[in-house]
Amino acid sequence: MRYVAVWAALLVLLAATAGSSYIPMGGWNAFANMAISSLKALLVALFFMQLRHEGALVRLAAVVALVWLALLFGLSWTDYSTRGASHAPWSARP
Amino acid sequence: MATIQFDSAEERRSASLLGMWLFLATEVLFFGPLFFGYLRGRLAVHEAFVSGSHHIHFWLGTANTALLLTSSLTMALAVERAKLGRGVRLMLSLTAALGTAFLCIKAYEYASELGEAASARGGEAMFYFLYFAMTGVHALHLAIGIGLVAWLWLTARRYGERYSMPVEVTGLYWHFVDIVWVFLYPMFYLLERYNA
Amino acid sequence: MSYLTEGYTLRSWLTTHDHKRIALLYAVAITAFFFVGGAAATMMRLELATPAGDLVSADTYNKLFTIHGVIMVWFFLIPSIPSVLGNFLVPMMIGAKDMAFPRLNLASWYIYVIGGAFTLAALVAGGVDTGWTFYTPYSTMFANGHVVLVIAGVFVVGFSSILTGLNIIVTVHRLRAPGLTWFRLPLFIWANYATSLILILATPVLAMTLTLIALERLAGIGIFNPALGGDPLLFQHLFWFYSHPAVYIMVLPAMGVASEIIPCFARRPVFGYRFMAYAILGIASIGFLVWGHHMFVSGQSLYAGMVFSMLSFLVAIPSAIKVFNWTATLYKGSITFSAPMLYALGFVGLFTIGGLTGLYLASLALDVHLTDTYFVIAHFHYIMVGGSVMAYLGGIHFWWPKISGRMYPEMWGRAAALLLFFGFNLTFFPQYLLGYLGMPRRYHEYAPELQVLNLFSSAGAVVLAAGYLLPLGYLGWSLLYGKRASANPWEATGLEWQTSSPPPQHNFHETPRVERGPYGYDPVR
Ligand SMILES: [Cu+2]
Repeated sequence: MRYVAVWAALLVLLAATAGSSYIPMGGWNAFANMAISSLKALLVALFFMQLRHEGALVRLAAVVALVWLALLFGLSWTDYSTRGASHAPWSARP
Repeated sequence: MATIQFDSAEERRSASLLGMWLFLATEVLFFGPLFFGYLRGRLAVHEAFVSGSHHIHFWLGTANTALLLTSSLTMALAVERAKLGRGVRLMLSLTAALGTAFLCIKAYEYASELGEAASARGGEAMFYFLYFAMTGVHALHLAIGIGLVAWLWLTARRYGERYSMPVEVTGLYWHFVDIVWVFLYPMFYLLERYNA
Repeated sequence: MSYLTEGYTLRSWLTTHDHKRIALLYAVAITAFFFVGGAAATMMRLELATPAGDLVSADTYNKLFTIHGVIMVWFFLIPSIPSVLGNFLVPMMIGAKDMAFPRLNLASWYIYVIGGAFTLAALVAGGVDTGWTFYTPYSTMFANGHVVLVIAGVFVVGFSSILTGLNIIVTVHRLRAPGLTWFRLPLFIWANYATSLILILATPVLAMTLTLIALERLAGIGIFNPALGGDPLLFQHLFWFYSHPAVYIMVLPAMGVASEIIPCFARRPVFGYRFMAYAILGIASIGFLVWGHHMFVSGQSLYAGMVFSMLSFLVAIPSAIKVFNWTATLYKGSITFSAPMLYALGFVGLFTIGGLTGLYLASLALDVHLTDTYFVIAHFHYIMVGGSVMAYLGGIHFWWPKISGRMYPEMWGRAAALLLFFGFNLTFFPQYLLGYLGMPRRYHEYAPELQVLNLFSSAGAVVLAAGYLLPLGYLGWSLLYGKRASANPWEATGLEWQTSSPPPQHNFHETPRVERGPYGYDPVR
């Protein structure tokens, strides 16, 4: 019964994402999409994948994967966010 | 039996679950370059991504998301029933059927988008590349999942109160594939729909 | 009845689930690849004996260094210690009967072989000239070789690494003997555990990145092409996200081997055990934060360069802790200079030189001068050959009695260790000087005034080649004629020495109980 409730919540969230994309919110649309998707993922992980009942080790595995993904994004972003800010003497100016 | 290394069935089960979780951690990073490539591309050529997004089918994508979320429900119920030792086949059949329906719709989408994708230029071409690459890798994972579920169906008689580990492990994988789609859906289908 | 006498047919080997037999399957396969990669290196050093490009064409030379890099990195160094020694020893050192997933373990070996077949097929079909780094846009748009075939090989072998890593992690977590707590684990286990973490977290990124190269090459569109709004540097970020940690995949297990050998032959407990364990985890995690030091002159943002430069210096801290602690372990020990000890000490010295010159390259300004020169080549060969290969050979000698049940000829072992140490330095030390003088890497000809140093290097390569062939000869000889080994010829403390040599099929006749920490050595025995 709990599973059915989770499934219903997931469908409501799906409707919310799909609906929100028709409301002009600029950059906040993307934010809403990602926030809702993360919430959906959390529901699936906690209930369907039983993460709630798992021990510390399994939770750690899940968290480490996300942290490492964040490292890939974050440290690459040190480059992309400042690429145009100033130029090394040896690199060509655009 | 190749399980002499374990002292008990419970030790074997917990090792297998940990193994699958670690494999899923690997999977997260396997998808990593695709997601990062998408993020960089979208920020670099935002307009092209938006117009690309308006060419793919909103309703088919939304319906597919609903199908996949429902398949996660049936998969979770399959795990529950495998532990009870009855009714597992019904839930496995439903799961596989929903997965297959997803793939059929996806195939229809691909067929109808291929022409447009081939003629796309510049950033829009990159959008289509990412769309096909990411949903393609996802579809491949789903196809493997359907294969695993079919195998569970064939061996369903083995599972019961004492031993349901293969169903549990496959369930984890299935839910993970579902989660990936939950992110792919807004990334490709929902860009500035209000302007479409 | 030992694991070696469980069956004599080829079939009994190729269908085995025994981690010890699988380790030997790996040993055979990686040794074959080592000599293929070594042959390519020999050709290169022959070409570089003279300044003119006279022995091979520029094109052939490019293919030689590509295949040398691809084979040595993915088909030798990365699987060397984890898949051979790790596979053999991890279950034994923790008192387990086998790995957690024996069938998966065998599957990993077959995956390795399939990946190897792809790579060899590409080699036979005409080779690739992109370099082992597959930089875009060359690899995606311009290279003529069999790029996709080699990428397929590397992709496939990556899954072999991932599955081995996963197996080791689960084994260490779930199958430790009663009483074997985390801080009673030998450092070899810590090292292989940390390596396995890198294997499962970094390898998938490489797999997908190479897939994207192959797709872009086949489809003509992709995310690295600037004409479509893509970014060629994106490839470098993704590639080095894997490939810098890959250095630690190669060197952490080597540190684990040294940490077993040095206490044993100094008869002293390892100095600062907990710090050693934490340093291993530190290196494994900080190693993920430094990849941009490969991109200082690539057009990456200067600010990113500064961040990556600073983070790169941080890796020196845990690395230095390890070097100091190995040295402190020797203090007041009663040292025997047996062959494994010579290899291990050689490892420490060469790793130190390689590590310190790494700091030169981590300095943003200095790297502008040194990047893409032979200084870089010398630096990473000190780490990967002077470090990892020396330690691998040290480990093979140290555990040879356990693996084969025979003693290797000690004098030959020592001679080979010394010869390798000498040949290695003769080959690669001149390359530091060449790089500093500005000789760029990846050219088949060079300015005539650089010939003397190049000749030293090529002469060293001949010595090195002889040094690598020696163990193949005398270890092979010892399999048939070597003295029978006792269960614990070195009087070492690890659990693996508490069972017969060679061990029985399931390692222990009785599951061991552990009551104390590792390295209970006493110098005044
Ligand atoms: Cu590096």
